[in-house]
Amino acid sequence: MACGSFNYSFFANSVGKEMCEKRKTGNIAKVATCSLAVQGNTSTTAKPVVEVPADQNSTFINLGRSSTKRRFETHRCQETIEEIIGNGKFGRFGGKFVPETLITCLNMLEAEFRSVLHDVQFQAELATALRDYVGRETPLYYAQRLTEHYKSKSCSGEGPEIYLKREDLNHGGAHKMNNAIAQAMIARRMGRTRVVAATGAGQHGVATAAACAKLSLECTVFMGTKDIEKQSSNVLLMKLLGAQVKSVAGNFKDATSEAFRNWVNDLETSYYLTGTVVGPHPCPSMVREFQSVIGKETRKQALEKWGGEPDVLVACVGSGSNALGLFHEFIDDEDVRLIGVEGAGIGLDSGHHSATLTRGEVGVYHGAMSYLLQDHEGQIVGPHSIGVGLEYPGVSPELSFLKDSGRAEFHTATDQEALDAYRLLCRLEGIFPALEACHALAFLDKLCPTLRSGTKVVVNCSGRGDKDAAIVFNSKLT
Amino acid sequence: MAASTCCSSTPCKHHSPSLPKPYNSSSFPSHLPLKFRKFTSRATAAATVFCTLAHDAAAAVVMQEAPPSLDLPRPDSFGRFGKYGGKYVPETLMYALSELETAFRSLAGDPDFERELDGILKDYVGRESPLYFAERLTEHYKRPDGEGPHIYLKREDLNHTGAHKINNAVAQALLAKRLGKQRIIAETGAGQHGVATATVCARFGLQCIIYMGAQDMERQALNVFRMQLLGAEVRPVHSGTATLKDATSEAIRDWVTNVETTHYILGSVAGPHPYPMMVREFHKVIGKETRKQALEKWGGKPDVLVACVGGGSNAMGLFHEFVDDKDVRLIGVEAAGYGLDSGKHAATLTKGEVGVLHGAMSYLLQDDDGQIIEPHSISAGLDYPGVGPEHSFLKDTGRAEYYSVTDDEALEAFKRLSRLEGIIPALETSHALAYLEKLCPTLPNGTKVVLNCSGRGDKDVQTAIKYLQPLLPLPSARHLRCFPSLPLSHTHDPSPLLLHSPASFDFGEAFRFELKRVSHIGMTLFGFIDGSSTDAQGMDAYCRSGLAFVAL
Repeated sequence: MACGSFNYSFFANSVGKEMCEKRKTGNIAKVATCSLAVQGNTSTTAKPVVEVPADQNSTFINLGRSSTKRRFETHRCQETIEEIIGNGKFGRFGGKFVPETLITCLNMLEAEFRSVLHDVQFQAELATALRDYVGRETPLYYAQRLTEHYKSKSCSGEGPEIYLKREDLNHGGAHKMNNAIAQAMIARRMGRTRVVAATGAGQHGVATAAACAKLSLECTVFMGTKDIEKQSSNVLLMKLLGAQVKSVAGNFKDATSEAFRNWVNDLETSYYLTGTVVGPHPCPSMVREFQSVIGKETRKQALEKWGGEPDVLVACVGSGSNALGLFHEFIDDEDVRLIGVEGAGIGLDSGHHSATLTRGEVGVYHGAMSYLLQDHEGQIVGPHSIGVGLEYPGVSPELSFLKDSGRAEFHTATDQEALDAYRLLCRLEGIFPALEACHALAFLDKLCPTLRSGTKVVVNCSGRGDKDAAIVFNSKLT
Repeated sequence: MAASTCCSSTPCKHHSPSLPKPYNSSSFPSHLPLKFRKFTSRATAAATVFCTLAHDAAAAVVMQEAPPSLDLPRPDSFGRFGKYGGKYVPETLMYALSELETAFRSLAGDPDFERELDGILKDYVGRESPLYFAERLTEHYKRPDGEGPHIYLKREDLNHTGAHKINNAVAQALLAKRLGKQRIIAETGAGQHGVATATVCARFGLQCIIYMGAQDMERQALNVFRMQLLGAEVRPVHSGTATLKDATSEAIRDWVTNVETTHYILGSVAGPHPYPMMVREFHKVIGKETRKQALEKWGGKPDVLVACVGGGSNAMGLFHEFVDDKDVRLIGVEAAGYGLDSGKHAATLTKGEVGVLHGAMSYLLQDDDGQIIEPHSISAGLDYPGVGPEHSFLKDTGRAEYYSVTDDEALEAFKRLSRLEGIIPALETSHALAYLEKLCPTLPNGTKVVLNCSGRGDKDVQTAIKYLQPLLPLPSARHLRCFPSLPLSHTHDPSPLLLHSPASFDFGEAFRFELKRVSHIGMTLFGFIDGSSTDAQGMDAYCRSGLAFVAL
């Protein structure tokens, strides 16, 4: 796979470019654009509609047609629907590496995704559900004592200001709900009666089960046996919400494979609800679109709180949904640093980690090309992290692309560092973060000393850690 | 001291007619002396209150004689709601309570304090909490002709820490900080209030000491660990039964000793004045938001408000805003435990009698000797023998109605909301939800019902599972194995069944037994019959995590 094939000035359609540029010249000040972009979650309805016939054959050929790339050019232009959907390629990453039998299904999904982006009523319903059911918007919380902690550690007594995006306050306890409710609504709109999902830490499973209960859909969740053991409380929640939980030997990757197989057997009535920004096109684009509300809110709240943009965004990366949800809105603002933190497990050199972007190599997995943890024969290496939600051998194709293009940085934090961060945030702020989010918090230890005083850092507190108290408890004993 | 002699007789005289029990029960002479004992001690305690507070004895008399009316300020200047409430506390605490009241009154109107509190409620607690139209629950209660009330949930479960409790805890911690008190104490039973208190102390950097019965600590090791993570010191209490009430006594003892440096965070609208008033004021944001959201959503007021009542803080928070809107029905739902007649319940307002507990006069669960009857409810939060004095007052004036539901009804409601709306409510909240079963058929079409979804039920899942699944407990993972050739296809297809087979076990018997249960309850069992390694591992995982045979 040649990696030099992207073309920065290549546009998928000139109509889109023209419209974008017209709009760009109309935007006088940067701030004006910001407020335009974040008025309501359903601003898509106000966007110009550009219809392009979906050309499936070209999907595999036009490697350079990256929607992300394109937006570098049309700087700070509001996304069109076509840009949101994209063509499934992010530079050389992404794609639709699936058996022919699934292509029809994915095309149907893409068509439905396109039509809900047009659908004013759907968008209004989604906005209501996000507000009243999920409990958005979530606060952007100034972590005063955490900020002071890092200030006191530096010799000058100065340091960055740390804000937490409180996704842990969502219904279900994590950012996963944003996507689950939206996709469940799509499933219902498509007339499907059954939803299949795979979950790692169980957060996506709980979110899916809750959304299905609300919308009266049947729900089957696949979960790895190891994860069931570690996250038994989430299993109980799912069952209580009426979902069927099926165990699969192994962990999240095996559960995903099994869920996929199950879905393929019953394509007519069931809907495969992806929890994260991986898988074949249009899954990554769709999940990213539904999670991007995190970033949009952050932009609006930052403007309210300090009249500007954040300087640094930090999020944990397992497969990347919460990171991309926060980053996406700011990709074009090149002065905003984007930092993803992966799970280094018990050490990068131990072989027991899930630092896909840091240590992985490019390959194809679960229908898309991205960085992967693989051995010399191209076989998947089992990932490890104390944050169960980070244990995935692949990663989002879009994040892979952001890494290659240098737009985002990726670092790692070990299990022990994550545990320390868990304790620190409990002690200082009275917030139990999920162990996944702890990786992002743990990186602050290294990041903060390097930042100028007054830098605004926004960390995505992607989930609550009640579910992890037992793990931390046991780690204390050993 | 002169004032003391003067007024100690006055309250006695004016107090007695309003105390129903001694006179009502005069037909049972054998009980009489005991009742009198109760009555006398109460009067003495009341005298203490007047001595300290009433500078003008005449004013006290006027207040006493006024019939219970909603138009008077609640509470009055003595901390009374009608005859309820007050400050029945040892003299040593009077100063702390007066100081607290003064501080509260001066801060309540202070814009700086308000602004800081509002900021924290918004960014830390995550307010405002949505008013959610429960579409499928509404659908569920529609009558055959398609008519029925509209049900809205006030989503307090979305707050940080998962319940309404944090509204008050945050505000009290902020108050303590303003008072210059760096040390916070509280007691806890199951650990929920302790965790909430420890949370806000961590947030404000205050020293936190939680008293907990030694026995409770053992049972709730994980919550103890949580509090410790939050930086709190958890002190075991070994005296008495080593449970909540002993922890409470110990906490009060601590407060009396360290009253100058310490603030006692009370979690409910109970206790001596000014706590019932203060906690209510900190929770009234629930009702205020509801009014605003109702106006936005349907341009009017709610018609019926429903909330569960243990101590009564979430109900008071919702009701307070609407007490003066006489067309809004207020309904509190108490825990009837195993049933009101079983004696195992916590339905204080329904079955209790007036008495004094934890420094305030209110309805109580007490025996003929005036001793507290141990309450029972499946939910730890309703398991309280008293109730907020203002609820007693609202009951007597007829402004609010109080009903009760049993453990079983609450569990049904717990399951119903989980299944219909994907919201797992706390077991406390489930009581309010359960009452909808009786309420909804009586309401005209289109009535707007707002129910306070006061907490999330993650904490109750273990309890609920225990009660909801009547299946055999399995010995341990080692005693489990797959049985490859059970003829299941014609009996219970396609749901697999897991069986246990310790060597000594009569396998056929167990199989029939399980199958009967399965078909009876209509549930799906985990388990694997084909004996493949995958499934055996899966089964093992379930067993190790204690989930085997858990089904709903």
